[in-house]
Amino acid sequence: MTEYVGMAMPRYDGIGQVKGQTKFVDDFVLPGMLYAKALRSPVHKGLIRSVDFSAAKKVPGVVGFVTADDIPGNRLFGACGDQQVLAESYTAYKGEDIALVVAVDEDTCMEALEKVKLDIEEQEPVFDMFEAAKPGAPLVRPDLKSNMWEFMPGVTTRVIYLGDVDKGLAEADYIVEGRYTTGEQDHAAMEPMVSVAYFDDAERLVIHTHSQCLQFQLGSLASIFDLPLSRIRYIGGVVGGGFGGKNHIHADHFAGLAALKFRRPVKYRLSRREDLLYSTKRGVFILEYKTGVKKDGRLTANYIKLWHDAGAYGGFSPYGVEKCSMFASGPYHIPNMRVEGQCVFTNKAGSSSMRGFTIMNGQFPMEMQMTKVAEAVGIDQWELRFINAWRDGDMGVSRYVVRGAGALEAMTGAAKLAGIELPDHLLAMSSRGR
Amino acid sequence: MKQILSFTLNGAPVDVIVTATETLLDVLREKLGVTGPKRGCDNGDCGTCTVLLDGEPVRSCLTIALTVAGRQVLTVEGLSPDGDLHPLQKAFHEHGAFQCGFCTPGMLMSAKALLDTNPNPSRVEIREYMSGNLCRCGSYEEVVEAIQAVAAGEYKE
Amino acid sequence: MKEVSYFAPTEVGEAAKLLAEYGDKAAILAGGTDLVAQLNYYEVKPAALLYIGGLGLDYVREKGGKLVIGAGTTTAHLLASDLVAQKFPVLAAAAATHGSPAVRTVATIGGNLGTASPAGDLIPPLMVMDADVILASVRGERAVPVKDFFTGPGETVRAADELIVEIQVPLLPGKAVFEKVGRRKAQVCSIVSAAVRLEMDGGVCKDARIVLGSMAPTPLRCPKAEGMLKGKAVDAALIAKCAAQAVAESDPIDDQRATAWYRQKAGTALVGRALTKAAGV
Repeated sequence: MTEYVGMAMPRYDGIGQVKGQTKFVDDFVLPGMLYAKALRSPVHKGLIRSVDFSAAKKVPGVVGFVTADDIPGNRLFGACGDQQVLAESYTAYKGEDIALVVAVDEDTCMEALEKVKLDIEEQEPVFDMFEAAKPGAPLVRPDLKSNMWEFMPGVTTRVIYLGDVDKGLAEADYIVEGRYTTGEQDHAAMEPMVSVAYFDDAERLVIHTHSQCLQFQLGSLASIFDLPLSRIRYIGGVVGGGFGGKNHIHADHFAGLAALKFRRPVKYRLSRREDLLYSTKRGVFILEYKTGVKKDGRLTANYIKLWHDAGAYGGFSPYGVEKCSMFASGPYHIPNMRVEGQCVFTNKAGSSSMRGFTIMNGQFPMEMQMTKVAEAVGIDQWELRFINAWRDGDMGVSRYVVRGAGALEAMTGAAKLAGIELPDHLLAMSSRGR
Repeated sequence: MKQILSFTLNGAPVDVIVTATETLLDVLREKLGVTGPKRGCDNGDCGTCTVLLDGEPVRSCLTIALTVAGRQVLTVEGLSPDGDLHPLQKAFHEHGAFQCGFCTPGMLMSAKALLDTNPNPSRVEIREYMSGNLCRCGSYEEVVEAIQAVAAGEYKE
Repeated sequence: MKEVSYFAPTEVGEAAKLLAEYGDKAAILAGGTDLVAQLNYYEVKPAALLYIGGLGLDYVREKGGKLVIGAGTTTAHLLASDLVAQKFPVLAAAAATHGSPAVRTVATIGGNLGTASPAGDLIPPLMVMDADVILASVRGERAVPVKDFFTGPGETVRAADELIVEIQVPLLPGKAVFEKVGRRKAQVCSIVSAAVRLEMDGGVCKDARIVLGSMAPTPLRCPKAEGMLKGKAVDAALIAKCAAQAVAESDPIDDQRATAWYRQKAGTALVGRALTKAAGV
């Protein structure tokens, strides 16, 4: 059995990939299959007055439309349960889905969409987190009390702490400040979002999905369709790249709703442009640091304020704030820490997970801080990190006890590979203790 | 305006009714059941739709179907006509030259066109020739190695 | 969309008649690498597609001291042409950066002109050689210098009933160089591009052409910068001044590829580099 460890094994499913036989969702083309496309909000924030499908309905090949009123179950979805499946009275980001047109092909869908008469009152949007956070700022959505996410009723700042950061800063010989921004990115997986839904011979709703996390999404879908789990077959596992972008529902709910209404197979997909514009993205994080350090290089305190731009709906962003808070001090022993995190709504498409979700957003700023700290104290960059790297038994800001620490060994190995000679007193250090 | 389009697909003659604006990608995937070529961008940038037209690589998403009348189209399905894997397919599989596999059909077609015109490409030549095939999973290095291995004769037909 | 007509004429005269009938309701289809993307995204809604691939316009010949290139010549064929390699190598240099290998298989030089993007890769080399575009219609043929062909981004003097049929390139003396920078090293729309041609006599410049791409609403000649070189001994100092002058004549914008600030920096560097190579200093 152990002879396989260390062997390179060709993937058992690899033959399908190299033969082009592996079926990605868009490869399902079923007899009588219909296509759906979304009517999207042309404005960043608006109040929907009316939607008139009468001219669109006359386009040959149009089968019908799906609006919020066609949703059998829950009209809200998403990890925070606050996102409209289809916008009813308001829209909160440009491109938000208002309705679906269902037709024999996508060309017909697009022709019909041009003929839909949407009467929407444009309102003043807010794009900047700090503008949105100001008291009296226009609300991103009418159902909000403020543009700040409440982690608990009335609590818009998530605080985690260890020790006493004021005491730690007072003990410091130097306090180094820094402000860091990490930007938005799109996953741009090679496979754009696409779902296919139909009823099988046992009257179960089958959904072929590109999702990278069926378990996260099935419950939400069942609640939207108002179907028991036994009546849904949610089939996936072939994902043309996810990277965190396929954790949020982008297409399954629409394909399913259209199949439910018209009782025919339906394919709903985003074009590459739609995917780039409207699918969830890595969202902006801004972190402000006050790091205290003694002249011998020992860190005494880390006080961090962080803000995350959620876009128009919560999604995974509140969880993201909490997660980033844990990682924003890096793998360093700092006895006094305090992180205050806020999650802010803005009139943009929702932020969500992407590759090392929130971890790099915290670790990158901390490494920049460490570089500044070393310069302020006048200490070698390696030395600063060796002194402060976690040992077994140290505690992170969320009070977990570090076990199996390895930063020192990793740095030693990296220095060796880079041909850098580290001084003996650093090489003598170990993660097993100070 | 619908017309009958006749061309040769993976060595066999085919007739299909198409409209003026349908692309070769549309026709292959949605009318002929040939789903190896993928729809990644519909803009000619990603390379997942790459097929060979008279032996040369083209973007099937940018090819108006009617323009291939009377010509030869080769897709990934045509690389293993008798079921045996083409050397490039074997090499890609053994070198792990893909993760999700969505870019793979396009990569294979470009790789075949490369080796057909330049059987012994340098690493730089490989990277330049394959520069129109994107991979977001990051398998570029393995793709280059697989092509090098085939060029070196490690995989016989 | 279903009602779009498709024509594949085999003679230019046939194509001209169709264009006379349809005017701008017909979309001219060559390689399709610009047009079909627009069709895929419903940006254009022609009544007819006029495929010019059967008109025999894919050729490169030498005639009367000029290189004549059929408008339907693909970028791949430009790269494979011995004539281009020997007589017009700067075009090959630009062609090698055009799109990607699969795009180069079908993209045509006529299409690059017709799309009229200020970033068109094949255009600056044509402009430094004072090339002419030949347009054909039922009214006959006319020649338009490439430098006068463009009127704005995506806009040319081509009338709706005209077809680009040929490009005529006088084989002017001197060394021509093409430079381009983009966000990647391949398959990239230029952030800035530059082409220069210098006719040198000893160390003195007899004639100069400097063209910037992606720095203005159209590909841009830089006559003041060219004037700084004529009759002068070319050294690094003059090149630096000249590059700065060329950029000063341009009007770059901020867009998703780069800022105007960056374009000015990069443009100065590219023109300087190209002039240095062309002058052999």
